[in-house]
Amino acid sequence: MSELKSKSFLFKFYGWMPIILLFISVLNEFDLNYLNLKYFSFNFPFILIFFFTLKDFKHFDYLLVFIAGLINDTVVGLPLGISSLSYTLICIATSYIRNITIRPNPIKDWFYFLFIICLINSINYSILSLFFSYNLILMNFVVNIFFTFILYVVFVSIFKYYIKSLND
Amino acid sequence: MAESRDDFIIAIRSAFLKKSTKQKFSLLTLALISILIISFSSLDFKIIRYLKIGINEFVYRSSFIVSIPENFAKNSFLEIKSYTSFFDDYKKKKMELVELKSNFISNEIIQFENKELKELINDYVSSSDKILAKIIVDHESPYLKSIIINKGSKDNIRIGTPIYDQSYLVGRVIEVNYRTSRVLLLSDLNSNVPVTIAPQNIQAIVTGSGDYFGQIKYIKEKIDKEFGDKNIIYTSGTGAIFKSGVPIGKLRVKDDVFNTYYVEFFSDFSQLKYVFAEIETRSPIKKTEEDSDKIIDQNTNLTMETKLKILEDEIKIFEESNTKFKNENEKLKNEINDLNSNISNMKSEIFFQKKKIDEFDIDKDEIIFLKLNLVHGHKCRKGFLNNKGFEINTPEYRSCVLSKEINNE
Repeated sequence: MSELKSKSFLFKFYGWMPIILLFISVLNEFDLNYLNLKYFSFNFPFILIFFFTLKDFKHFDYLLVFIAGLINDTVVGLPLGISSLSYTLICIATSYIRNITIRPNPIKDWFYFLFIICLINSINYSILSLFFSYNLILMNFVVNIFFTFILYVVFVSIFKYYIKSLND
Repeated sequence: MAESRDDFIIAIRSAFLKKSTKQKFSLLTLALISILIISFSSLDFKIIRYLKIGINEFVYRSSFIVSIPENFAKNSFLEIKSYTSFFDDYKKKKMELVELKSNFISNEIIQFENKELKELINDYVSSSDKILAKIIVDHESPYLKSIIINKGSKDNIRIGTPIYDQSYLVGRVIEVNYRTSRVLLLSDLNSNVPVTIAPQNIQAIVTGSGDYFGQIKYIKEKIDKEFGDKNIIYTSGTGAIFKSGVPIGKLRVKDDVFNTYYVEFFSDFSQLKYVFAEIETRSPIKKTEEDSDKIIDQNTNLTMETKLKILEDEIKIFEESNTKFKNENEKLKNEINDLNSNISNMKSEIFFQKKKIDEFDIDKDEIIFLKLNLVHGHKCRKGFLNNKGFEINTPEYRSCVLSKEINNE
């Protein structure tokens, strides 16, 4: 009986993994910056949120995504609400794709992801520089978008493997 | 055409408003809340400020806990790396220590003189304490260069408090919570520090570059031709944000053609673990004459005491060097005496030798005379046949013998 309980707990934990990973990544700013590669940075939460909201993953609550955004703003030092808006916009975009797509295509999703992160980063850049007078390097945004776009393929294959194992 | 537009509107409406099976809020609500939070966070309301402080406290601590495994891996990697260059570092540090020791005494005197002068200029006495703060979050964002320290308003930290790594400036506090604060590093794009470029004493502004170096800005044209790699940059104190004379970094030439310069910071911001926050307390001098006299007396006494201490140390050093010189003098005197006695001995020897030489010369003349006497003696001697001759052993006889030889020659 206890074995069954522990098994169900592990299964539950495994099911909540993406959201836990999202919170860890926003608290830890997981972007491999300590490798000291010049300009190298990518936005892991963008990939995670895009993929799991596109798949309409059952444990991926929008409210939790919103809270993760608030935490990210606090850790990075951005004005409160910027990341929450970005994450919410990703959720809106994926929800829209889900509604209009009959036959999902990974390549289309990939380029749609590029469009979305370009749009969101542009909004972020505009808000930060126009309303909050932040001095920002545009190149950093471009490089961040590029690496997020490239690494999307790698992480998606891992996430797909995770979903497959969860279904099995 | 109308159908596709309807489809688009339906899809958009569905995306914004439709809640999924387990969603509590629609995305439109969340987006609106985000926009509200952004606009409120730009306004300085008391409730929002406290709410923000609360969130910051919780999130910074959580972030610190979550980062423990990653930090452990990172630190162990850095420790292994530092072991490889351990011996070289040790040698360098030893050399630096010797140099620093030699500069220490003069620095102390300058510090106290500086303090006295500052007290003369201002109507307050500023005393500063440096408190050690641990860095709890140092996640590098590609956009912002900042760190979180574990000291806040509870420890008298205020917005603008300067933060140091040893004695080097690393940044200033831009956000204060109850037990944590955010420090904007000098390398951040939004950081501007008024500086002096030594030794030319040129005023400029150092701004962050978003990378690990700073940029020199707002400098007069043509002045920069004098710059080289030996220039040191320290805070000028202009604007009263930072204290003057705090070292920041070294000047490096980036581009010879366009004369662009950058600042190589003394402190490595990626390796910071602990920093010092300088808490300044300003105590105004009271206007009653007695009190002000007392405070001035106390301050002057303190400075005089410390000055006296330094002077006593200097006297000790002088005394030690004097005794050394005295000992050396005595040694030299003894050596001189020995040499003098040797000289007198040598002189007496020379005198005896000269005497001997003179005696030898006399003997030589006598031999020559005797030889000539044998040859010419009969010509000069007074006799029966020679009335014009001289008596033997008289000087005339002697000169006659010698003159005969000269005449023959």
